[in-house]
Amino acid sequence: MPTVFLVDASLSMCKPVSLQDRAEPMQIRHLAAEGLNHLLQYMAIHCKLEFCSVVVFSSLWEVVEPFTRDFDALRDRLTRLQFYDKTNIEVGIEGAKHAVLQEWGASCSCQIVLVTDGCTPRCLPQLNSPLFPFPCKLHIVPLCEPGSPQLKASLPFYQKLIDSTGNGAIVLPEGGLSLKSVNQAFVSIGESSYVSWQGRLVCGHLESHVTLCPPPDPQIKRVYDFEQITVKMSDTIEICGFMSIPDVAHPATVSRHLVLPIPAPKPDQSETSPTPENAQLRIEDGGMDDEAADDGKQPSFCVLLHGSLKVESMVAVCKLGASWYGMLYSWADSKKKSNLMLSTFEPGEGSVPWWTSVSSLGSNMIEKLKLPIKPAEKPSYSMNSVVWIRTTGLQADIQKILRHARKLPEKMSAFYKELNRLRRAAISYGFYDLLETMSSILERECTLLPGTQHPEAALQLSHAASQLKVTAGELPDIDTPIAPLKTKLSSSYMD
Amino acid sequence: MSFPLSHKTVMVLDHGSDFLASSQQMIDLDQITKTRTLIPLAPISKSLWSCSVESSVEYCRIVWDIFPSGRLIRFVIGDGEDTRFLNTWGEQSVSQVMASFGKIPPPSTAKNKLDIVRAVEMALGTLCEPSEIQHERRTNLDLQTEVVNRGRVIVITQLQGETETLKLEKKLNTTLDIVNKVATQDDKQVPLQEVEIILIHTSPGTKEISIAPSQRKYGTLLTIEAHKVTSGYFLSEKLCELVQVHYDLAITTVTGIPMKEEQNANSSANYDVELLHPAAAHSDFKVDQSDEKHEVTLKWCTPRTAPAHELQYCTAAFRITPVDINSRPSSCLTNFLLTGRTVMLELPRKSGSKLLSHMLASHGGEIYIHTLGTGRSALEDPPSISEGTGGRVTDYRITDFGTFMKDHSLVPYDTSKGPTTENPLDMTLASISRTTLYWPLIISSTSVYNAQSHLEPLLSIIVKPSITLDQVVECKKVILNMMHMETKGSTLPLSSGSAGPRGKSGLKKEEQYRALWAELEQLVRLYCTTAEHQQVLECLLECKKSETVASLDAPKSVKLEPKASHSSENPSPSEDIKPKKLRVAPDLLGKTSLLGLIKDNMSRRPATSMWLGYNPDTKKTQLYQNIKDKANREENVPMEIP
Repeated sequence: MPTVFLVDASLSMCKPVSLQDRAEPMQIRHLAAEGLNHLLQYMAIHCKLEFCSVVVFSSLWEVVEPFTRDFDALRDRLTRLQFYDKTNIEVGIEGAKHAVLQEWGASCSCQIVLVTDGCTPRCLPQLNSPLFPFPCKLHIVPLCEPGSPQLKASLPFYQKLIDSTGNGAIVLPEGGLSLKSVNQAFVSIGESSYVSWQGRLVCGHLESHVTLCPPPDPQIKRVYDFEQITVKMSDTIEICGFMSIPDVAHPATVSRHLVLPIPAPKPDQSETSPTPENAQLRIEDGGMDDEAADDGKQPSFCVLLHGSLKVESMVAVCKLGASWYGMLYSWADSKKKSNLMLSTFEPGEGSVPWWTSVSSLGSNMIEKLKLPIKPAEKPSYSMNSVVWIRTTGLQADIQKILRHARKLPEKMSAFYKELNRLRRAAISYGFYDLLETMSSILERECTLLPGTQHPEAALQLSHAASQLKVTAGELPDIDTPIAPLKTKLSSSYMD
Repeated sequence: MSFPLSHKTVMVLDHGSDFLASSQQMIDLDQITKTRTLIPLAPISKSLWSCSVESSVEYCRIVWDIFPSGRLIRFVIGDGEDTRFLNTWGEQSVSQVMASFGKIPPPSTAKNKLDIVRAVEMALGTLCEPSEIQHERRTNLDLQTEVVNRGRVIVITQLQGETETLKLEKKLNTTLDIVNKVATQDDKQVPLQEVEIILIHTSPGTKEISIAPSQRKYGTLLTIEAHKVTSGYFLSEKLCELVQVHYDLAITTVTGIPMKEEQNANSSANYDVELLHPAAAHSDFKVDQSDEKHEVTLKWCTPRTAPAHELQYCTAAFRITPVDINSRPSSCLTNFLLTGRTVMLELPRKSGSKLLSHMLASHGGEIYIHTLGTGRSALEDPPSISEGTGGRVTDYRITDFGTFMKDHSLVPYDTSKGPTTENPLDMTLASISRTTLYWPLIISSTSVYNAQSHLEPLLSIIVKPSITLDQVVECKKVILNMMHMETKGSTLPLSSGSAGPRGKSGLKKEEQYRALWAELEQLVRLYCTTAEHQQVLECLLECKKSETVASLDAPKSVKLEPKASHSSENPSPSEDIKPKKLRVAPDLLGKTSLLGLIKDNMSRRPATSMWLGYNPDTKKTQLYQNIKDKANREENVPMEIP
């Protein structure tokens, strides 16, 4: 889940403000850098693999630090920002949008932390909903006195920004402007939105404690079966069965996460430190000291699963929540390092159309069907549909019939099959002129037959020509196809 | 519960005498014969009626190819005398509709005109009937939501000019009010909350009437659009345009498809094929160009040999249908895909770099376009799994778990028929749960699974939820055979891998057997659910008793129920015999040679290697790994015309 620090670089950011916990006033821009620093510190501990970038805006925008995991570089860049003219939030949004799309595309979910001075923009822009073409959470931090009139004027606009984004919040320094309250505001963003996911990977009685990286969105909203549904990630990833990669056949995924095995939380510690923040710290600690070496030697189901999935080229289909599924498979970034990966599907039982519904998948019964099931009604392109919108389509169909006609009686069944196909379509379209013309064409073809041709050919052609004719005022029967003329000669040519 | 406008559509086709007229677009059917000296046959033309049927069926074809369910279309056919439905909400396929049209005679020659208001009234009336899924939602008491009913009516007719059209639209608005009032009073109907009526005036182009394209709103419920088109090909073109708007579809043009010529097999020319699919497949492109026209051109990439075995990262997958279904390039492409091959599509970029953005593949006879994830991955440079918890353990039972996975491979079941009430997935879950009751993760913590060859078929039989008496006998045979082996003093087979680490080979023969019996007992006790299982257990206990008196106290401590045990601590019977973290068992020290000690130590080291291609699972190093890829890249598989 990449993050954009979208920093207001208008001149008003250089305005000094007085703080409760400092004698000297401080410029807003320094306050912003300080606050973001605190957020970065929090992230360095809790989600080391997060990508962040810094985008500044005034009347123009610029990506001053491209997406990186190097938190020191980010911290350093934040202290060296330049400031220009006025605040134009529209431009800033455009910049963030551009930065994310260029790097990650439209399917990656992102977070944007907008830091500004709380001044109301002169003219309020027209906002399109959604504001961003990718899933996004927007945090707005206005660095000004919470009760100030300028902020009161700006808040409805900020709220509109968040509403059009669909997710996010305005984060205000609590209890007046102070270095501490500002830092706390930024850390609170970390606490609310950069929480690691921890849970269990379960396969019957086998299980592993795992963490997902990047953490999944706690819930996603989708329209499925005409219904707006919200699915929530449960804390258990339950394996329901396995499938070979060709059978899986590249389903659409909402998000991808690395599945990393972690040591089981020790019961005594979880009593003393129930907050997720402490739990996370403990794991990080665990990774640092000698325990890590022991963990490496403690067998983990997760590693076994990864090994077998890799060797067999299979995936494990798993349940993530009510009517929400995903798959686990071995994935390699480079040749050397392979990993267990979780892809989440679109919510709903029918998220992979060629599996029909996930709950109808099963392993150990007798009456087996092969994946994928054939649809009840074949699509038009695989059932020889008749479409004569372009003249060439009709001409090609007629030529095909004539080709068979010239090879009568050998091509008897093909000739009648094509002829009846044309006849049926002509009747359905009410295109009786075509039947008459086709009849004429066949009659003429009959006169053109070379003398060496089998006598059967002439018999069948004139039979077909007469059968095609439409009696005035009568509806030709679509359900009775033209049958070949029964002659003494013909029986041997019908298969 | 909000259903979109496109959930239900009614097509009203004018069957009045005006539609008997020719579309005046001549079709020359006598092309080839021109070369022979013959009197050519007169060209023919479709009637306006034929054009209406043809273009509306094409509209349906596109909709039902892309949405096999959930998008319903019903036809109303009307002339001055009679107005009727052609199909029901249940008859939703092109073949059914075509068969029904076959029973409709061409428009009558006697002067009569379609009563548009009457036909639209019927159309609106049927839109008020809940579809199967709407009915289900309405009657489901768990869902306390109201069904929002919407619908669309498309009328293909001839209008009488601008002012008349305005009058007609007003009348249609009143009709909707009346229909809705009736529906409110009827328990079986759902009033419409949004309706779109599309009036299409079609004529051969000779009878000019001024109808400006318009879109007018009537109240909050009704929108009426009016269009004027020349009949024939142009009507089909209009409906193809409308189907894209109505169902939010877009076109991808696949360009540069190499195809061999029928006459000249040596030459190959490049063709383009247009494919229709939901516009969401282009979501990554829409961003830059926010124009209305959803059309993207992508380049064909010659398919590689077996990309099916590689899992592609896809962000979306949608059904497609060709725009021009019977053209040679289209059918060539669809046939190629239906044989199971996949085609990558490349987004041409100014910079000249290659970006694979989409993939075409068929699944179960339907062709899909997959949108490939093209952005940078947020998962760059991840830590390897071997660096984490359990990463340094090298003797996982990878092959055994592979067998377990294959036993639980999923296939779809036809759940509509059959006596089973439980769904297949839940049954599989139950089977997974039972099979894993006792499942040691690593080779060195189990004796039983190292001696599998001697213990089968007992191991696979005992796991079954119910067993036959014959199977009980088979199990007993296995146990007796094992006992026989022990008395004979045969060495226990320790399958590959187990001989090395953890010094199992260091154990005495008697200890090995003792561990095996104890583990076997624990296993059988865990799976003991029926009287037949009980017989196997009793036989086992009987044999054990006669074997050793010393080990009798150990099995009593065995837990009967696996208490949500952590995988890493899967109860291992041999644990009470061999101390867990013992590097070298002190009592064995005297009997071990120095070489043995060194070897033992070496085997404890984590599997690391300087070789780039080293695979710790197979313990093999593959040389020249990239050579295959290179060969594949150079391979060129052109498509053949059937």
